[in-house]
Amino acid sequence: MYWEALVQACKFQIYVSRSIDPFLNLSIEHYLLQKSPPSSTILFLYVNRPCVVIGRNQNPWLEVDLNLLKQPRLSGHTRVVDGTHSTLPWENVELVRRRSGGGTVFHDEGNVNYSVICPTANFTRDKHANMVTMAIREVNRRARVNERHDIVLDQGGVLDERDWPDPADMRRTIFHPNSGENPPLKVSGSAYKITRHRSLHHGTCLLASADLPKISQYLNSPARPFIRARGVESVRSRIGNVHFESKRSTPRFYKSFRMEVIKKFAELYEIGRPPYTSLFRGEIRSDGDGERATGYIGKKLGNVGEVQEGIEELRSSKWLYGQTPQFTLSSHSNEEDERERPPLPKDFPPSAHVYLKIRSGVIDSSRISISSDEDSANAEIELFDQVLKEKSIHDIDDFNDVLNRVELGASTEVSSVSRWLNTMLGKPNGLL
Amino acid sequence: MNVHEKKYTEEHEWIELSEDGKTGTIGVSVYAAKSLGDVVFVELPALDAEVTAGDSMGAVESVKSASDILTPVSGKIIEANNVLEEKPGTINKSPEGEGWIARIQVKDGGELENLMSMDEYAKFTAE
Repeated sequence: MYWEALVQACKFQIYVSRSIDPFLNLSIEHYLLQKSPPSSTILFLYVNRPCVVIGRNQNPWLEVDLNLLKQPRLSGHTRVVDGTHSTLPWENVELVRRRSGGGTVFHDEGNVNYSVICPTANFTRDKHANMVTMAIREVNRRARVNERHDIVLDQGGVLDERDWPDPADMRRTIFHPNSGENPPLKVSGSAYKITRHRSLHHGTCLLASADLPKISQYLNSPARPFIRARGVESVRSRIGNVHFESKRSTPRFYKSFRMEVIKKFAELYEIGRPPYTSLFRGEIRSDGDGERATGYIGKKLGNVGEVQEGIEELRSSKWLYGQTPQFTLSSHSNEEDERERPPLPKDFPPSAHVYLKIRSGVIDSSRISISSDEDSANAEIELFDQVLKEKSIHDIDDFNDVLNRVELGASTEVSSVSRWLNTMLGKPNGLL
Repeated sequence: MNVHEKKYTEEHEWIELSEDGKTGTIGVSVYAAKSLGDVVFVELPALDAEVTAGDSMGAVESVKSASDILTPVSGKIIEANNVLEEKPGTINKSPEGEGWIARIQVKDGGELENLMSMDEYAKFTAE
């Protein structure tokens, strides 16, 4: 295919994706990281349909309310959340785990993703955050890069003119950072993947995302107080949009943001002025004696062997769930996780205790008991462990099916414990 | 030349051979640990994995970055430093000591000859 040859040959490459499939876009990006020449520099822009994207070393059960996400195995159900019909702003939000580090973000059509791939020797975390900040400043002068390499909008009034920073300073603006109690709002977060010769910096940019306050409900797991996890926890930030105006203008905002970022990229790498107007009229083309490749890319690239493999890997439960660093889920305080727990559901048997240790998404060991009597409890622990051990959390549809394999007589209590586990671990049967 | 001398790669990993020269301990250099920043997670190599010099054998995460760790030599992974699972920051505290990452059964000791000595590496990182 023509595109594959260009990826392996061109020194500068600029692409815009026509697809909103997060698995495809992330796999195209990964293909570019692996296949482009060691000294080349690449800019790739894309928008994803609504999805929650967790970092490489994160825990989906901890970071995301999986009960609110698309559950591919349950079609045709009207989802019931907390006893009322769902009023979620997005249907079918998907879970995605990316290959880069960092925390969890929400994507929708009002959010643009930019990614820059460059030689590892030239990589710094701020370089391309500065580039994108320059582009944002064309429409919002409050933008700056903070100490976490995120892009934020300062919220306060204009500074005294004597304190105005150099306009080229991307770390400070002419505004006070805070407005009263209100800290700067984050509009763009970044994550990185660094390989031997090539480094990837990708980031989000909220241009005009709808329903910002509703995003947080997807990122609040009911299991958070009960899970103790290794790996990387998200740092929560207050978020905002670059544009204040009507969300209906999103396509226009995206188009102008895209052009600004491409312009700044072309300036940064002195690759000359790309023919902006004709740049993205058609499919991929190369110019400058084969030095540059530019154009729209999309669905068709899902047929490229390595891109296809990338998509399959990202969609696999081995990657989505199995990549999760070790964690424990426990109903009560214990040596490993001493935090005080919130009240358990009313139907949770008063003498019951639940403890699961999960490694690579698989139950490594468990201690589940219902009886208050120590001997009975120990026997239950043994029996439940036999049916749970080595089970992959992802393969369990309903904990009741698994736990009820143990003949205990007290089946309503087993059902209550199962229901709690279902809710904690995102099994929709727990809610129906 | 001392065959058990610690050797370094251009990608900032180190390897030190055992007395008998059959196994090597691998980690990242002090220089690398500094430039990585605070390590928050280490993906250790799988036991018994067969690796070729320059392959990615694991990864570390620091400051929102997932960085590959490459093996300096070919061989079979025989041990991973489990301390790093619980305390990934050990890599920052003692990258060339307690923060070692894996032990490898070395396939071809000759591969070490291509690597840098401590002095050569010091010059390399000073550039």
